[in-house]
Amino acid sequence: MKRRSFTGDRLSVRRLAIVLGLLVVLLTAVFVVSITIGSERVGLLDTVRVVTSKLTGQLANVALEKQIIITDIRLPRVLMAIVVGAALAVAGSAYQALLRNPLADPGILGISSGAALGAITATVFAESLPISRPVAAFVGAVITIGIVYALGQGGERTGSERLILAGVIMNALLSSIVIFLVTTASGARQRNVLSWLIGDLSGEPALLIPVALFVVSGIGVVYANARSLNLMMVGEDDALALGVEARRVKIAVYLAASLLTGAAVAVSGAIGFVGLIVPHAVRLVGGSDNRLVVPAAALVGSSFLMIADTIARTIVAPRELNIGVITSLVGAPIFVYLLRRSN
Amino acid sequence: MVSGQWPVAWNRKQSSVVGGQSAVRGRRLYLAIVSLALIAAACHSNRQSPADNKTIVDELGHTVRVPQHPQRIVSLAPSITEILFDIGAADRIAGVTSYCDYPPEALNKERVGDTLKPNIEKIVAMKTDLVIISTSSQLETSFRRLEELQVPVYISNPRTVDQVIESIDKIGDLVDASKEARDATQRIRSRVAAVEARVAGSPRPPVLVLLGTEPLITIGAASFINDLIERAGGRSISADDKADYPQYSVETVIAKQPEIILLQTGSSELGERLRQTPAARSNKVFHIDDDLLLRPGPRLIDGLEQIAAKFHPDLFQAENARKQ
Repeated sequence: MKRRSFTGDRLSVRRLAIVLGLLVVLLTAVFVVSITIGSERVGLLDTVRVVTSKLTGQLANVALEKQIIITDIRLPRVLMAIVVGAALAVAGSAYQALLRNPLADPGILGISSGAALGAITATVFAESLPISRPVAAFVGAVITIGIVYALGQGGERTGSERLILAGVIMNALLSSIVIFLVTTASGARQRNVLSWLIGDLSGEPALLIPVALFVVSGIGVVYANARSLNLMMVGEDDALALGVEARRVKIAVYLAASLLTGAAVAVSGAIGFVGLIVPHAVRLVGGSDNRLVVPAAALVGSSFLMIADTIARTIVAPRELNIGVITSLVGAPIFVYLLRRSN
Repeated sequence: MVSGQWPVAWNRKQSSVVGGQSAVRGRRLYLAIVSLALIAAACHSNRQSPADNKTIVDELGHTVRVPQHPQRIVSLAPSITEILFDIGAADRIAGVTSYCDYPPEALNKERVGDTLKPNIEKIVAMKTDLVIISTSSQLETSFRRLEELQVPVYISNPRTVDQVIESIDKIGDLVDASKEARDATQRIRSRVAAVEARVAGSPRPPVLVLLGTEPLITIGAASFINDLIERAGGRSISADDKADYPQYSVETVIAKQPEIILLQTGSSELGERLRQTPAARSNKVFHIDDDLLLRPGPRLIDGLEQIAAKFHPDLFQAENARKQ
C-alpha cells in the first residue's frame, strides 16, 4: 500500500475528494463547537442568531455584549487558530519530506524560536509597523533552518539524532536571546516571554488577514511541489533521474515552509508539536502521498488547533492557559513514541 | 607534582614520620584556635552581642532575631526602600535593588542586584545585619539561602491597604524607628479615611486593572490593589479570582462591562477588542503611574487619591481642577 502511494499517480481523484470532503465536515463541526463554547455562556441559539444576523445583515435580538463576544472576540480567535494550525501542520509535512526525517517539526528544529526572535526584533525596532513582524519572523525562520541544516549535515551518519541535536542547541540559544530581549527591551514587553516561547492565541487579531494571505500562498507553493516531494522522499538522485529539478524544488519548499512558520509564530508565538503530530496522523490513515498529505494536514491542523485553543480558553475559565501547554501535553508523548519507533 | 606520585608520598609520610606527630597535633590545635577566633569575629561583626538582639515575628510567621538597632539594612523591594526613607532610617540603608528609584536619594545607595536575583555574596560581604523582603516584589526565594548564611531576614506580605499600613508600623518596630513609623501611618490613615468618607454611599463603578495586554493580566482578590480599588469607591471586575495576578479571558472582560479601565503608564493603548467596553466608549481609560499603584509603600495613598478622583470625578472636582 505504502509503496504504491509513494510513486505517484495511483492516488485517484475520487479518493482525494472523499478524504478531503470528510475533513472539511470535521473542520466545520469543530468550528461550530469552538465558536459556541467559551469562558462566558452565550448559548447555541444566541450564537446561531448572531452568526445569521452577520450573514444576512439584519439586527439580532441578542444582548450587545454577547454579540461582541461572538463576532469580535471568539470568531477572530477561532479563525486565527484555523490559519495557524494549517500553517504549522503544512510546514511540518514540508520539513519532514525535505529532510526525509519523520521527526522534523518547526518547534523541535528550533525554526519557531528563530521566527519568534525575528518577530520580537521587529516589535522592538518597528513597533508601529505590525506587518514587519511576520516578515522578520520569516527571515528568522530561513536563517535558522539554514544553520540547523548545516549543523545536521556532515559526518559519516546524517541521522535523525544529529539534526534533532542541532535543533535542541538552536532552541536553547534562541530561547535565551528571546528571554533577554523581552526582559530588557521596552517595546517587546507588550507580550510576555511565555506567550512567545510556548505559544498563545489570545493576542490582537489585527494581523489576521495578511497572515492568512501568507499562509494560503505558502500552502499553495508546497502543494504545487507535492508530486516532486514524493519523488524526492525516495531519494534525490532518483528524483533527478525522473526529471525533478531537486535544487529548485528544495529552495521553493524551504522558503514556503519558513513563510508558513514565520506567519504562524508572528501572531501566536512558538506553538509546539502541531507540525509533528498532525502530518503523522494524516499519513497513518491516508498514506504518504504528499498530494493528499499537504491539504489533509492543513485541514486536520486547523481542527486540532481549534480544539486545543477551546480547551485552553475554557479549562480554567475565566483564566486562560497558553495553548502551547495543551499541544505539548498531547505532542510530547507522541514524539517519544515516534522516536522509539524510528530507531 | 606529577599525577600518580602523590599517594605514594602520602603513604610514606603516614608510616615513617613518627617523630613528627606531635608537631602535626600542635598545628591542628593552632588551626582550631584561629578558626574559632575567626568565627567569633564573624559573629561579633554580625551582631553586637547576643544580648542586644530582639525577636520579631515577620508577616509570614517566621521568627527573626535581629539587633536592637539594625545598622546595615538591605532592602530588596522598592516599596521597602520607600518605607525606610519615610520613617527616617535612610542613613542605615546599606543596599537597595536596581529598581529602587524613589526618593531620588535612593539612587545613591549601593545596588545589590534586582528584586528577583539579589546578589547574596554581596549582601553577606557588606556585613548586612538585616534584610527586608516583600512578597509583592519577589517570591521569598532568596530567603532560605540568606537564612543559612545567618543573615536575619524579615518578610513583608501586605495583601490589603490596612496590612500595608500595619507593615509600615512593623518595619518601624523592626528597625527601631517605631515613633516615626507611627507618625507616618497616622497621616496615611487619616488620608485613607478622608477618601473613604468622600466616596461612601456613591455607586461603585466596575473597574478593570490591566497589568499586561498580551495575554491579558489583571488583578485578583489576593492582590492589595483589589482592596485599593474598593477603598477608592470602585469594584474590580476580576475580584472573584482568588489568585493575585491571573491571566484573564477577554470575553469575560466584555461580559462584565467595565466602566473604567486602568492601564500602567508607558503601556500601549487599548487593543481593538477592548475598545468595545463601556469604559473605552465613554473615554474612561486612564494611565496611572504604576509606581503609585503597584508599590505597597507610603505612596500607595497618592495612588488611592488619584484613582478615587478618576472613579468619582464629581466628588473630587476641586482636586481635579487644581491639577489642570
